[in-house]
Amino acid sequence: MNYARTDILMAIPREKHGVRIYKAEKTCDGYTLINPFTSNDVWLIDMRGNYVHKWVMPTIPRNHGVFLPNGNLLYSTMAPLPSIEDMSVPRHWGVSAGLVEVDWEGNLVWKYLDKCQSHTFYRMENGNTMIPRVEVVPDEVAVRVKGGMPGSEDRGAVWSDGLHEVTPNGEVIWKWSAADHLDLDVHVMCPLSYRGDWTHMNSCEVLPDGNTLTSFRNIDTICIIDKATGNIKWQWGPGEVSHQHAPTLLDNGNILLFDNGAHRKDGSLINYSRAVEVDPATNNIVWEYKGDPPRSFYSSLISNCQRLPNGNTLICEGMKGRVFEVTTDGEIVWEYLNPFYGYHDVHGYYGHSNSLFRAYRYMPDHLGLKDKNLSPENLAWVNGLYGPEALGD
Amino acid sequence: MSRIQKDVSLDVFDKGPKAYRGYTLFSPVGGTEVYLIDMKGRPIHTWRMPFEIGSHGVLLPNGNLLCAVTDHEEPLADFDGAAGSLLEMDWDSNVVWRYDDPYMHHDFHRMPNGNTILLRWVPTPNDIACKVKGGLPDTEREKIMWSDSIREINPAGKVVWEWLGYEHLDPEIDKVCPLCFRNEWTHANSFIVTPYGDILASFMKTNTIAIINKENGDITWRWGGFLTLAHPHDVSLLDNGDVMVLGCGIHLAGMEAGYSEILQIETKSNNIVWEFREYSVVDFYTPCKGSLQRLPNGNTLICEGDTGRIFELTEGKEIVWEYVNPFYQTSPIYGRNNMLFGVYRYGHDYQGLKGNAPKATKPAMVPQEKGMPEGKKLSTSKEQVVRDRLGSLGY
Repeated sequence: MNYARTDILMAIPREKHGVRIYKAEKTCDGYTLINPFTSNDVWLIDMRGNYVHKWVMPTIPRNHGVFLPNGNLLYSTMAPLPSIEDMSVPRHWGVSAGLVEVDWEGNLVWKYLDKCQSHTFYRMENGNTMIPRVEVVPDEVAVRVKGGMPGSEDRGAVWSDGLHEVTPNGEVIWKWSAADHLDLDVHVMCPLSYRGDWTHMNSCEVLPDGNTLTSFRNIDTICIIDKATGNIKWQWGPGEVSHQHAPTLLDNGNILLFDNGAHRKDGSLINYSRAVEVDPATNNIVWEYKGDPPRSFYSSLISNCQRLPNGNTLICEGMKGRVFEVTTDGEIVWEYLNPFYGYHDVHGYYGHSNSLFRAYRYMPDHLGLKDKNLSPENLAWVNGLYGPEALGD
Repeated sequence: MSRIQKDVSLDVFDKGPKAYRGYTLFSPVGGTEVYLIDMKGRPIHTWRMPFEIGSHGVLLPNGNLLCAVTDHEEPLADFDGAAGSLLEMDWDSNVVWRYDDPYMHHDFHRMPNGNTILLRWVPTPNDIACKVKGGLPDTEREKIMWSDSIREINPAGKVVWEWLGYEHLDPEIDKVCPLCFRNEWTHANSFIVTPYGDILASFMKTNTIAIINKENGDITWRWGGFLTLAHPHDVSLLDNGDVMVLGCGIHLAGMEAGYSEILQIETKSNNIVWEFREYSVVDFYTPCKGSLQRLPNGNTLICEGDTGRIFELTEGKEIVWEYVNPFYQTSPIYGRNNMLFGVYRYGHDYQGLKGNAPKATKPAMVPQEKGMPEGKKLSTSKEQVVRDRLGSLGY
């Protein structure tokens, strides 16, 4: 598919799309990467909501793209599902058609194919890429995995996750498998999850000390993996968060993550999400943001948070296609609602969606933006339809 | 809309004759007022309750309001839907009848003969409770698993009929949702009395809707279960015998996008013959409560309870009327909210409005095109629903 797969707004636009809050004196200005989940377009927008750059990728993302300091976009592509007999990939995931790195003009600079690459990736300082991937769990372990819905294995198999560190030459120089290090008595699945999907790793960040911070959605656990031994040296989550995404290490040593809240075990019938900052030294939550009222901010799946240099936090409420910036006091100082809707090729449960897997803000002095033309004039035709003047008040 | 809670004005979206003309009754949960508004959202009448609304109010054919209220002192006051009294009030908010039952909850129905049927909690005998499967372990309420009873009382408050859920439910079939507390077995939240005198009820925690024979208490029809229905809330029976249900969609198995749906089920085949989900599915989501009412013009009045949004939907899935409850309350269970449990539309000629509401100048109902625009009829079996849900995951 080489055409832009963007649908226009719904027939009854009930809400203003695009940037709808911008308190310029309180925001941390920069450029935000908008990567609609059901489209193969990737956009950079300015603070007013002008589209200033666009990449057209070969496929919809699996699940997103990241803008690198070298000015390229690193993006994972989606392949069609293989036949149901193909046991080399799990059915519930879609299949990767490869990680691609493209330059500012969209030319292919690097590609790495691992069918089992899932969710995300991390470009390390040394130029290698850390890749989360799904891996089938050996039978003798699979039968002892606890939780989940009985009988819901993937064609009899239980999948978990692993990590591969890949060099620019495509050589795998470090491997890690969750099944080797998880505790079957502790890491019990959410009772409503499919047993085909034991852990559901949805995040990967290589830390300055070389260890990897990751998140396992279906067991409500985030953890740090020791590079040398593969041991889990810190973990947190069960009873505190539910189906979380995208933990990230902050300069102050705390970890910021998106607590989706899809399947909390507190008996509550209200769903709400939170941005949570936890201190790994004490395991205490030191800051959180909830909507007012709490259920007004909820994304069952996907999503992320990013701490900005001025102390604000950028939050992507993925399922609603909403990105917003809050101060530490919880005041919303910027907000954007994705106007690009479409159907997902593989995951029908999204419906006609404007979901965003994640969003990132890049500062004006970000290395990758050096000498780049970021004028709204570049995409005058898009701004005429979806820009701040077009979408009105 | 479920995206962002906004403080709303009294704006209403009204597509004129396409919507069933009349008045809409709604009861902000946790508030003390029940409102009747016209099609333009203008308040026509307000009832003022001496206690907080526990679930909802209904305008009876005799012109009185019947409403379930709570003083938060009931033994199970923190259970969702708790109410301690049923109040019947005249147009001027004078209480003309009152029935107290500290274990009453959610729904009630005034029969033509003057009796009232209501839902109430009863403790499940231990020997049955320990056989009930599902739910989070060790989450009973002080070691009691409460279950539902349906009770009929006469105007003097005497119990003339009672159905005890635990005598008729089957622990092998009626399993508690894996993520819910075992403080309750079923959490019935809605029922209607069918023209045959049976009871059609919705059991939230067992993800089931069922028809109960009033003579012997047998469950003569059941529908639901994991992957087909998640936390039903409100059932309705159509003239053709089909059942409609609002599936809240919370605690849906697998990859839960967070959306609600309305299903119409043909009871003979158990197939789904009509369904509604929003175009962008997360735009219609009410995890906790809501209602639906099939209107005489073939449209359905839907209450997205959690967001306080009421809308009227044609069979062709067009929204022809929409209103959002602007009256926020603060409740001990839900915090600050504008939730609505149940909402009703009454036509201009409704008996209960005679003499009280402004005379209609336009007819309530305009002949409409019926059926799906493409002429394609749905008939989806439960097995197909499960296959579709798994298929959306890639299986």
